[in-house]
Amino acid sequence: MNQPAGHDFDQDLARALAQDRAVPVPGFAARAVLAIQADRRRRTVLRWGSALTTAAACFLAVFVLQGGPDDALAQRARALAASDESAQLSDILGFADELSVLTPVIDRHSVVDVLINPDL
Amino acid sequence: MSPEELTPPEDEEDKRLMSLVASGDDEALRLLVHRHHPRLVGYLRSEVGSQATAEELAMEVFIRLHRAASRWRPEAKLTTYLIHIAHNLVLNEWRRRGRKPTSALDSTPEPGDQRHDSARRVTELDEAFRKAVDLLPPEQKTAILLLVQQEMPYEEIAVAMDAPVSSVKTWIHRARTRLRELLKDYYGPA
Repeated sequence: MNQPAGHDFDQDLARALAQDRAVPVPGFAARAVLAIQADRRRRTVLRWGSALTTAAACFLAVFVLQGGPDDALAQRARALAASDESAQLSDILGFADELSVLTPVIDRHSVVDVLINPDL
Repeated sequence: MSPEELTPPEDEEDKRLMSLVASGDDEALRLLVHRHHPRLVGYLRSEVGSQATAEELAMEVFIRLHRAASRWRPEAKLTTYLIHIAHNLVLNEWRRRGRKPTSALDSTPEPGDQRHDSARRVTELDEAFRKAVDLLPPEQKTAILLLVQQEMPYEEIAVAMDAPVSSVKTWIHRARTRLRELLKDYYGPA
């Protein structure tokens, strides 16, 4: 064992680590301030960008939702719908579909049996 | 004497500077960085083993401090808050690298050569200590660095490391034991 004379563990540990206790870097503060200013500008741009995007979305939503009815456009749409046979057919079929949905399920064979044998 | 009267003047100065920084005073910001960067860079260099990385991380610490300046409340010392941010960045750095960085240590520290003079033995011993500290597990290394190098009390280390004081005490006890094992050629068995 080669114990250094006059040294103790805690004292040596403290001395060894104390060398890096404070490491001044010339010009660090100025560089840090520049980096922070750049970060501040970047965040300002991002914040304004986000605010403008939100405002644009809100404006668009208000314009769409609160815009008055356009009579001429509505009339043209109605005329088109009236002249569209496929739409009329679709309406009828759609109505039929709804009826079929509402109709209770009937056993076809039992209906035929009743017609053939009125006694039943 | 009230707690305010017991507050060291440097803490009061930190509070004053932080309130100025929060209001956008760049000169106060420069003073604050100038005041705190040496210890921060020193701590970070001991943690990551590289001056360049330590400076980059220290820069990031001050950027984050500036972002949080308006929300900062002087419940803890500013140095503790800075070390807390730095510690989190060190953890991120280790995760990014995928392992704990250590400085090159290929062998157990060798005892001082008796032929060398006293100054050289001290230098060797210091080097052996630093290499041994690099071999500690991350929590033990951070805790011993903050206690011995940065001279922080247990309570502040606990705040900085976001851990209970009892854990800090355990890490420091284990760190000392491990360091004695690694340096047994110099000091004998623990």
